[in-house]
Amino acid sequence: MPPPSDSSLPRLAPGCRWGTQGEEKVVLFPEGMIRVQGTGQTILELCDGQRTVQEIVGVLLGRYSGADPAKIREDVSSFLEALQQKRIVDY
Amino acid sequence: MDATIPNPLALIAEITHRCPLHCVYCSNPLQMVGAKAELSTEEWIRVFQEAGRLGILHLHLTGGEPAARTDLQELIAAARAAGLYSNLITSGLGVSEARLSGLVDAGLDHIQLSFQDSRDEPARWIAGAKGHGYKIALAESIRQLPVAFTVNLVVHRQNLDHIEEMIEFIEQLQPERVEIAHAQYYGWALKNRDTLIPTREQLDNCMRVVEAAQQRLSGRMRIDCVVPDYYARYPKACMGGWGRRLLLIDPSGQVLPCHAAGVIPDMKFDNVREHSLEWIWRESGAFQRFRGEQWMPEPCRSCDRRTEDFGGCRCQAFLLTGNANATDPVCSLAPDHQLVEIAQAASNAGGAQVSWSYRANPE
Repeated sequence: MPPPSDSSLPRLAPGCRWGTQGEEKVVLFPEGMIRVQGTGQTILELCDGQRTVQEIVGVLLGRYSGADPAKIREDVSSFLEALQQKRIVDY
Repeated sequence: MDATIPNPLALIAEITHRCPLHCVYCSNPLQMVGAKAELSTEEWIRVFQEAGRLGILHLHLTGGEPAARTDLQELIAAARAAGLYSNLITSGLGVSEARLSGLVDAGLDHIQLSFQDSRDEPARWIAGAKGHGYKIALAESIRQLPVAFTVNLVVHRQNLDHIEEMIEFIEQLQPERVEIAHAQYYGWALKNRDTLIPTREQLDNCMRVVEAAQQRLSGRMRIDCVVPDYYARYPKACMGGWGRRLLLIDPSGQVLPCHAAGVIPDMKFDNVREHSLEWIWRESGAFQRFRGEQWMPEPCRSCDRRTEDFGGCRCQAFLLTGNANATDPVCSLAPDHQLVEIAQAASNAGGAQVSWSYRANPE
């Protein structure tokens, strides 16, 4: 799979969803779960299948003022690509 | 209660032993639980609530054929309400299109649909029943619904020669994942071991084909496949270690540390009808028996790998050596490793007759 484009609509893959373990938010998927914290959690929460990658990057830039847009775009891309490989995210 | 024991992560619920198939490698025990002794709907729902409170995340609904229970949809809804991620491990038989969408609406997260082969005739021969065509149609319905889809394929000497064709067949069904599982020799599969055990050549070819397919399908279909433990150098970390991560409840409510634990002599299993799940997890003698390292013999006790494979599988140790405390004989360091080498050698000599014991049904 190529990396996501600006117009890709990332979302949790079928059968992957948010859950909780104690107080922690986790993403549940067929083989297990992952804890997503910090920026990863922020990105994943924005992946609702409605926002484009470009819009997600825009939201993050609004939240982290002073961040380098190219760096944020790259981080979002590699994060989504890694989760797509695990079949946790579709885009 | 001992609060230092970490909470379990997953619950395997064998909700019934009834099944329309008679697969020759079924992991169910030879002595099965009949319909009359099964837990009621209300009892299962209470257990799922207890499981959620105990911190369990994943619920694997299996059998027998779990769809043989008419209350399956109610059980799935209760699992979702209890905060559990539910996985249905099914042959697909008894799951109509309408029933399937009801299960997904109730909160089913993941379906694992089993196939016996890519071809109709051998599939029927392994399962002792028809169903291959029905499964193909069901796979298409699953694909239309918002649910994770995995195909399970059990491989063994009788089908490994067309592993490439089987992977291509599964690719057409478009699951997100395929689990290629080598038959494991417990229950019915142990009875049929001499006919199921692959040759070294088949195994090497299988691993080559799988690796090529993994590369080709990367990002589209994930392929999980591990070397069967008879051919591995070290044993598998059976169940992630005894009483460390998983518990299994049989149709009558007995709680076991693994599918096959009933074969080990002098095991007393506690029942969810008499105790809470938490009490059983922490206190039941069956769970304590091989928890930790106290029970380990040499060479396990001083082995660096003891925290990785936990001494291997207790049931396999018993089934092959007669001693449940022995090092798993599949380990190349085990004193009884020759037992596994003999089985391998017989397979590689190609001598075994093809004759099956089909899985029976409970009364």
